[in-house]
Amino acid sequence: MTEEMFQLIKGATEAFGPSGSEEPIREFIEARVKDYVDEVRTDALGNLICIKRGPADGKKVLLDAHMDEIGLIVTHIDDKGFLRFSNIGGVNPYIALGERVYFANGTTGVVGIEKIDDPKEVKLEKLFIDIGAKDKAEAESRVRVGDMAAFQRHAERMGSRIVSKAMDDRIGCVVVMETLRRTKSPRHTIYAVFAVQEEVGLRGARVAAFGIEPDVGIAVDVTRTGDTPKGITMDVCLGKGAAIKVKDSSLICHPGLRKYLERLAAERNIPYQLEVLEAGGTDSGAIQMTKAGVPAAVISVPCRYIHTPSEVVDENDVEACINLLVAAVESPLDF
Amino acid sequence: MTSYNEKARCEYLVDVKAFLKKVSEAPGVSGFEYRTVAPIIQEFMAPLVDEIRTDALGNLIGFKRGEAGRRNPKVMLAGHMDEVGLIVTKIDDRGFLRFTDMGGVDPRILPGHEVVVHGKMPLRGIVGVKPPHVMTADEMSKTYKMEDLFIDVGLPAEKVRELVSVGDLVTYHRQFTELMGDLVAGKSFDDRAGVAVILVALEELRKYRYTADVYAVATTQEEAGLRGATVSSYGIFPDVAIAIDVCQGDTPGVPEWRTQSVGKGPALCVGGNIHPKVYEGLTKAAADLGISVQQEVAPGPTGTDAWAMQMAREGVATGLISIPLRYMHTSVETLSVGDIEKAGKILARFIASVDAGFVEGLTKWI
Repeated sequence: MTEEMFQLIKGATEAFGPSGSEEPIREFIEARVKDYVDEVRTDALGNLICIKRGPADGKKVLLDAHMDEIGLIVTHIDDKGFLRFSNIGGVNPYIALGERVYFANGTTGVVGIEKIDDPKEVKLEKLFIDIGAKDKAEAESRVRVGDMAAFQRHAERMGSRIVSKAMDDRIGCVVVMETLRRTKSPRHTIYAVFAVQEEVGLRGARVAAFGIEPDVGIAVDVTRTGDTPKGITMDVCLGKGAAIKVKDSSLICHPGLRKYLERLAAERNIPYQLEVLEAGGTDSGAIQMTKAGVPAAVISVPCRYIHTPSEVVDENDVEACINLLVAAVESPLDF
Repeated sequence: MTSYNEKARCEYLVDVKAFLKKVSEAPGVSGFEYRTVAPIIQEFMAPLVDEIRTDALGNLIGFKRGEAGRRNPKVMLAGHMDEVGLIVTKIDDRGFLRFTDMGGVDPRILPGHEVVVHGKMPLRGIVGVKPPHVMTADEMSKTYKMEDLFIDVGLPAEKVRELVSVGDLVTYHRQFTELMGDLVAGKSFDDRAGVAVILVALEELRKYRYTADVYAVATTQEEAGLRGATVSSYGIFPDVAIAIDVCQGDTPGVPEWRTQSVGKGPALCVGGNIHPKVYEGLTKAAADLGISVQQEVAPGPTGTDAWAMQMAREGVATGLISIPLRYMHTSVETLSVGDIEKAGKILARFIASVDAGFVEGLTKWI
């Protein structure tokens, strides 16, 4: 992977953007894709919608990656200046404990816990954020109830792997951004949706797809792997290529479109693997159910330790996903 | 306004038992109904409707035009054609297949089951288990979880990998069986019995004059979350929508108040998911025909296509007819053929009673 590409991933993952507070990541993406598309707009929920026009006889193809990340939201500031919080999306209290977090305005905090006698007592309601304030007034000068925080981590390379926070789903955003950049002659009009609020219920994709009414929808998101010690029973491995989803709990991918993607990958020697994800959903679940129905599929980036501050992907899988998505928008999609 | 037209009576095109046998034995797990089940239904439905089409989620939509009226009401019928089943998640080093369920399958019924793995070709397999001799005392006292189970197709790993991929579907291997009386047993009557009711109703409609335009939908992905009905009802946007599904039949160990008797007629549902006037109309149709029905009560969403259809767009007036069925989601689902025929007759008479006036009345809930 080129240094330029790594820097793009680093920038995208390190940008701030828990569900509902996606402004920083939206600005990051908009600045980097606007030269490669014909039109950019933001809708009522904050989705960034980028249109790259194709020939008139092409289809309307919605490419989706969600730009929100999981995070924490301040619910109460106590007299001593400690912050109580709730979760935005799936935050495991064991993983949050001891983390360093940051707010949109740059305030840093650490996650501490009340005195407990048993590790089983590690629950979100026992945790708090310490931003170094001496009292409530000082805390309130930096943070307000309702403010969100994200994990604070830098992206790093580990051999062919890359580790960072928020790979879910900034790596999907990078795949779609690169697809927009690398697609010179789209066969279709591409509606690239960088969606909000996926982690809290596929909300951005639902309204974006309703507004766009696409002919085809393809989401790019991360998926779990079965290749870690005593892990889940799953065939997907890091480094074995783009994962073409068969199903997860939010959708059964359109079999015609899914097989079309498999054929494309095989023809172009793009490494791929098939994915059945038992627990978890993706934006395509919402896209598929739009109005009278939309054929939808998912290209997944295999990712270890999802919803932790150290999500790990393989650079070759990322390349495979980009190649497959470029191939898809340059092909007739006559499945 | 309903008139019974004797001259239109003719030989039944639909042999309910023959249809049930054919569709029950066909594999069609949610999302993959289009392969084998939809073509069979299409073959039976085509002579009974004016047009037939499919949509983006694979719903099979038959259209039967009513006589031109002041305003032809749109009536949607929904019976789901998918079934619960299994899907391959991993092929292990020795060629055993690991799987998870599609829809609600109880892992405790699977050990010892014969299955068909739908790979490059259909492969017979069995769900294997650890024999009692090699179980620990602790294992003996526990029931199986899905992750403990595996499918053995009898081939070495490399051969299995040639024929089977992750994502391939697995269905119960089970033949349709006629029990005594008019009871039959088999897999996937949930809810191909509902599709059978729709066929009977379309057939029965030939006896009536009516103005409703009927959309007969064999829906997809009900077991995965009412997905087919959600998009098809958005597309059709009917004035009245009736789901035909199955309900719990009388079974030893299940309290009577939770079940309906198999063979004593279909159950008509009441509750917030059901428009009172649609329920009333179905009840009246049954009474007019002298068919006795049972009553099912759903305090909340019914968990059937009726829920998805009620929530379509600005809201749709819905009804639900249920066929009592024992042993739901197993391969020995058991029901009475007579209940299906009765439900079809009630449904046809109800459709014939739906006119512009009835639809205008629906704008008031009570």
